[in-house]
Amino acid sequence: MTDTAETIFKRLRDLPSTHLLGTGTPMCAGCGGLQALHQIYDIIGEKSVFINAAGCMTLLSVFPFTPFRGSWLYTAMASAPAGAQGVRDALDILLQQQRIAAEEDMEVVVLTGDGAAYGMGLSSTSGAMERDLDFLYICYDNEGYGNTGQQYSGATPHAALTSTSKGPRGFSGFKKDLFSIWAAHEPAYVATVIGTEPLDLARKIDKARNMTGPRMIIALAPCPTGWDYDPKQSVDIGKLAVRTGIWPLKEYENGKVVHTKIPKQRKPVEEYLQCQGRFRHLFEPQRNDELIDALQAKVDSYWRDITE
Amino acid sequence: MYRIRFHGRGGQGMKTASRILGTAFFLEGYEVQDAPRYGAERRGAPIFAYVRADHAAINERGIIQHPDLVIVADDSLVPVAGAGVVTGIDAHTVLLINSDEPPELWKQRLNFAGQVFTLPVETEDRAELRFIGATCSGAAARLLGVITRASLSQAITEELQALGDAVVDKNLAKALTAYDLMEAHRGCVGTSSKVSATDYQNPAWVNLPFDDARIAAPAIHAAATSVQVNTGLWRTLRPVIDYELCNKCWWICSSFCPDGAIDVDDKGVPHIDYDHCKGCMVCVAQCPPHAIASVPEQEAQAQDAAGEVT
Repeated sequence: MTDTAETIFKRLRDLPSTHLLGTGTPMCAGCGGLQALHQIYDIIGEKSVFINAAGCMTLLSVFPFTPFRGSWLYTAMASAPAGAQGVRDALDILLQQQRIAAEEDMEVVVLTGDGAAYGMGLSSTSGAMERDLDFLYICYDNEGYGNTGQQYSGATPHAALTSTSKGPRGFSGFKKDLFSIWAAHEPAYVATVIGTEPLDLARKIDKARNMTGPRMIIALAPCPTGWDYDPKQSVDIGKLAVRTGIWPLKEYENGKVVHTKIPKQRKPVEEYLQCQGRFRHLFEPQRNDELIDALQAKVDSYWRDITE
Repeated sequence: MYRIRFHGRGGQGMKTASRILGTAFFLEGYEVQDAPRYGAERRGAPIFAYVRADHAAINERGIIQHPDLVIVADDSLVPVAGAGVVTGIDAHTVLLINSDEPPELWKQRLNFAGQVFTLPVETEDRAELRFIGATCSGAAARLLGVITRASLSQAITEELQALGDAVVDKNLAKALTAYDLMEAHRGCVGTSSKVSATDYQNPAWVNLPFDDARIAAPAIHAAATSVQVNTGLWRTLRPVIDYELCNKCWWICSSFCPDGAIDVDDKGVPHIDYDHCKGCMVCVAQCPPHAIASVPEQEAQAQDAAGEVT
């Protein structure tokens, strides 16, 4: 577990009971991305500038409405980290010229979906890490281009049905390991989180908030619309993603990767797959044991060498 | 020309219904336009789709202001102003509503002179909601009277093929049942004449004068203005907390609510903000002592009106 001595979030009761992010956003009912974002926003606070690449969450701020209490800037899909560089530089110049006081400084936060993070925006993100930009990156990962009808992205898992990967075997590619791609740049911090593990999330965001340099967060975002399940199952599915070992909760710091929550007895991956329409073809009309076993084997091989 | 307007909630398949009907018209030899309106195309949010069909080329574009047929997949949308269900309807318009309440009651409520038909709501199981689209397109095809069973079936098969035979079969069964249900009213939807470009009425838009960029650029100078948007209108089910069962473990419902629509007061008691709760029911599924019940929104509103619930 994350060192509890360093964090103000020791127990679930330490989590915020009222929320900063405004309600009334156009995200879908049951959105796992919004769930993670409102938890994250409670910790980052209103002294922040969100740089938002095109995606579902660009719809958070549609004139004249915004759920944010701080600032927000919209960029094209591939260039949010470049936008963050500009905002950080501007703030630094204002600070240097003493046009704003140190306490008026703001946290620069990039917010993108997986389409931008795993694909289109990967190059500008790499550049920002290379320049050691002081920013926080939050990727809400719903494993496809959700805002436009769930076309597959670099984050889509093997065998998942998307609007551009149909047929009995679903998506033929494999989900990119963005955590390792980011960690290979040796930034200050990389972590995976999920809204259904709010304490683990709060500790990581709190930790990241108190660091400088590139701090990179990937939040798995269960998506009722894109993954095809009833919105009320959002949390159950998120929890299953962790308990089956599909979504490892971990962090990278000082060259080391630490798993923050190792599922004690991993549940079969099948339990996670079975409750989502995007994997229904693995069970109907005939059960596809070969593909289910292959997905299980991949998860097993990931965890084989992971110990406390 | 036939002008047909679809109203539903995201997830009910209204976009698919419009595609099915459009394809069926096409198979009958019509020129067809069918398009969903892009806006809040989200689960639960009001959705619009439009179909135009004519034997001649269609030059008309954009949203349908004066429909011949209006199809409403969810009767809770009728009183929602933003859904615009009754916009531009007149005595010529036929209204098809998925509702357990009788057509006469809807005519009276809406003070509407045209014909109203209802399709019974089959179930409150949300898993069945996805078939409403097929049901609506089947009933609409019969009301139009110019689409045969064969064309309707072929359209459904073509549109849904990629989802597999089982899905096609289930949708076919639903659509054909609804088609037969409307047998007595076949052909009751009429066409309306083309509008000449010279008679074109501008939509009720707001003209904004050209302003200096500092004024005209869309910057928002206030915090959390989104609370002015009443997303509670998306809800078809309402979570209701039984405070006698609530064990005040507030972090569960309050943290998990995707919208942050559950706040906890200083006594540790959670309160649901019904102006913004979208009715995802995550809190109902997660509450450890099962203290949150799922009540159909209409029933809850009726109870509110009767003063039984506060």
